[in-house]
Amino acid sequence: MRRASSKVGEKLAPYVLLAPFLFTLIVFFGYAFVRVVYFSFTTYDLFSKPEWVGLKNYVNIFRDLDFTRAMKNSLTFMVVVTTAQTIIALLLALLLNQKVRGIRFFRAAYYMPSVASSVVVTLIFIWFFQRRGVLNFVITKFKEYQAIILLFLFAAAAIHIVLVVWEKLRRRPVSVFEPNFMFLGVLIGFIVAFGAVRFGFLVPREVPPVDIIWFNTTKTWPDFLGSLAFPIPLGAIMLFNIWTTAPTFMLLYLAGLQDIPRELYEAAAVDGAEGWHIILHIIVPQLKPITFLVVTMGLIGTLQMFDQVAILGSQAPRSSVITLAYYIYSNLFPSSAVPRVGMASAAAMFLALLTFIIVYAQRKVLGEEGENA
Amino acid sequence: MHNLRARRWANVAAVYAFLLLLSIVFMGPFVFAFLSSLKDNPTEWPPSLLINQLRPVNWGASYRLAKQGGGNGFLGGMGPGGSIEFEVTYWTPEGQEPAPPEVVIPRRVQGGAAAALAVEHWAADYVQVVDLEEVKREPAEGGLTTTYRFRLVNTGEVALDPVPMDLTVPMRQQFVSATLAPNRIERLGRAQSWNNVSAGLLPYVFGNYARVFRENYSASTGKGLFLLWIRNSFFLAVTRVITTLIFASMAGYALARLNFRGKQGIFAFLLFSMMIPQQVTFISNYLVLRDGIFGLSRLFGVPTLLNTYAGLIVSGLVGASSVFIMKQFFERLPASLEESARIDGASTYTVFFRIMLPLAKPPLGALTILTFQGVWNEFFWPLVVITSPADRFPLTIGLLNLQRAYGAATFDWGPILAGTFISALPVIILFIAFQQYFVEGISFSGTKG
Repeated sequence: MRRASSKVGEKLAPYVLLAPFLFTLIVFFGYAFVRVVYFSFTTYDLFSKPEWVGLKNYVNIFRDLDFTRAMKNSLTFMVVVTTAQTIIALLLALLLNQKVRGIRFFRAAYYMPSVASSVVVTLIFIWFFQRRGVLNFVITKFKEYQAIILLFLFAAAAIHIVLVVWEKLRRRPVSVFEPNFMFLGVLIGFIVAFGAVRFGFLVPREVPPVDIIWFNTTKTWPDFLGSLAFPIPLGAIMLFNIWTTAPTFMLLYLAGLQDIPRELYEAAAVDGAEGWHIILHIIVPQLKPITFLVVTMGLIGTLQMFDQVAILGSQAPRSSVITLAYYIYSNLFPSSAVPRVGMASAAAMFLALLTFIIVYAQRKVLGEEGENA
Repeated sequence: MHNLRARRWANVAAVYAFLLLLSIVFMGPFVFAFLSSLKDNPTEWPPSLLINQLRPVNWGASYRLAKQGGGNGFLGGMGPGGSIEFEVTYWTPEGQEPAPPEVVIPRRVQGGAAAALAVEHWAADYVQVVDLEEVKREPAEGGLTTTYRFRLVNTGEVALDPVPMDLTVPMRQQFVSATLAPNRIERLGRAQSWNNVSAGLLPYVFGNYARVFRENYSASTGKGLFLLWIRNSFFLAVTRVITTLIFASMAGYALARLNFRGKQGIFAFLLFSMMIPQQVTFISNYLVLRDGIFGLSRLFGVPTLLNTYAGLIVSGLVGASSVFIMKQFFERLPASLEESARIDGASTYTVFFRIMLPLAKPPLGALTILTFQGVWNEFFWPLVVITSPADRFPLTIGLLNLQRAYGAATFDWGPILAGTFISALPVIILFIAFQQYFVEGISFSGTKG
């Protein structure tokens, strides 16, 4: 008797263990997804019964100026942020993969911005980007000392190049980034710049405080891109978004770098490869699965951008920062109108489809290696 | 040989120089914002790091003044009969006779009407200025400096907090120094004002932080909102960590090590769900919670799950990515672990709870940290579900509210920045204490809010 019941129990066990997860998956994902598909073919205001209208919503969203703006903003944001954060994450990981004392501290320090919430980061950056804020102050200072900084950089680079060329002419083996020469270049550049200021050849310029308006503006940048230029507030959001997400992905790359077998480097060194050659031809191909993961996550994440727009609220013009996610939200909870669930759902379906297509296309481009990552 | 060593040194120096430079980029805005959150005016131009709140002179003075006033040196306040001695020095140009300052205890409190309602006793009603006298006169460049001394006496029978003070002097007479540096200098240098002369050390240094707690009151219950928000976020985070740990390991184990019908389908469904943005499914989820999950919540006497924690908890019982992490872990365990127990006739549940779960400590650790951080930082879904009353907000939504409250007319950035840092503190502490888990968690799943 006991055996029989336990046999049934054994058969049911997997489903019992899965039950809570299946509940959330079915109710809050499966059912939700199907219902949004249905809503997208209806007009519905959250209260009265949904009415079937066929494809009307899908036609209407493309006639809605807000939607096309949101789509443009979302796509620009996705392309710029994903590209920039992937490259920066890789470079950071290469830098932080050095075996020097105290490297763990730097890893933690760089990652710090990523642990805070989007609200925290956005609020700090709204303050940072004020019209009379720290960023504009830094730009002002930079303009004041522009000539001196340029002189320093120019002198350092010139010394470095002369030394490298000199060594090359004498047919000595020398790397283009020979650290000794770099050190010498920086030192002499510093002395030159300091001397120029000390003896009055160069003085800091008088410049009025820079007051770039970062958020409350409808201006776009850069001008030569015409209609492809992105709104300045969106650009500001991009800047601080890259700042917070690049370190997250840096961690992934770092883990990947540590998995690359030492023999590969050694073999490359025997072949006489060095510097950029190793990075481009050995490290980057080895990290392909990680790159795949980083780009996929980047694309999905950037297409969902919502928090920053909601937190900025009325501090930036709606048309400059609206994204697809925010468009959906604002159609469901408009500040002063009837909720348009049908439109929101159609836009949501569009967002889901877009995510799908982009991730799929990316998989085709980058290859299939990362599939199981 | 010598050359090689020199090269290595230059190499290391270059790496460090670069690391430090980038630290400024990544930590700079955070550190600068934190230091500015101590300032009276975080948006002053040019932004400066000479912060009154960070000068030890003022630390000593704020402690001493509160002590003199009969309050606690660290926490401030002015007790009945308390007496504070204050000195202030001015510079007067040649040909002008120095005048003593006009001392006023204004009926004023930071933070507008809401904060004013919370004040029980106004210092203006009880504090008197006595013994105002000139104590020193010295020639100085282009004129002379004079020092005045006076006492503030609490004549009432009640404890006072805060005790603000304004000093006004005639035109062209310039403020030089005072026992405690003023919070503001206004009217072309004629008026100096203090938010609280008996603040005490901590409320003086962390003035904006104290304001966040003091000035935000719930309209309905009168309780301090900020503390409530912190508590709410802790409650939600802890609850969801518990449900996630239990349910994710159960589901992860089943998907990894048991054979049953529909397993492949369920896993494919899980992967699919991880790709679909939250903003797609939230439309229906909002309605499901509004209707109390098909009316089930009515059985418990709750008509709707909107604006309830139950709604947030039930809809976030366990995330697909957490199940994914646990599945990955259980798959890597050797089969032999289970087999011997199975031969002895142990049931699936026994195997899971007695053998597998105790082995899963590392991924569960990572999951705890990740889930806590995720819930603590969550913004979108709580914004949809919890709209009122303000007592129920989690901290992220509370911060949004704080920004609106202090940003209504002109931005009062002090409390906004302070609130921001308080809310970031728990995850920063978690990060410093459990760094390794963060790294593991990221490489396990690769998903972040």
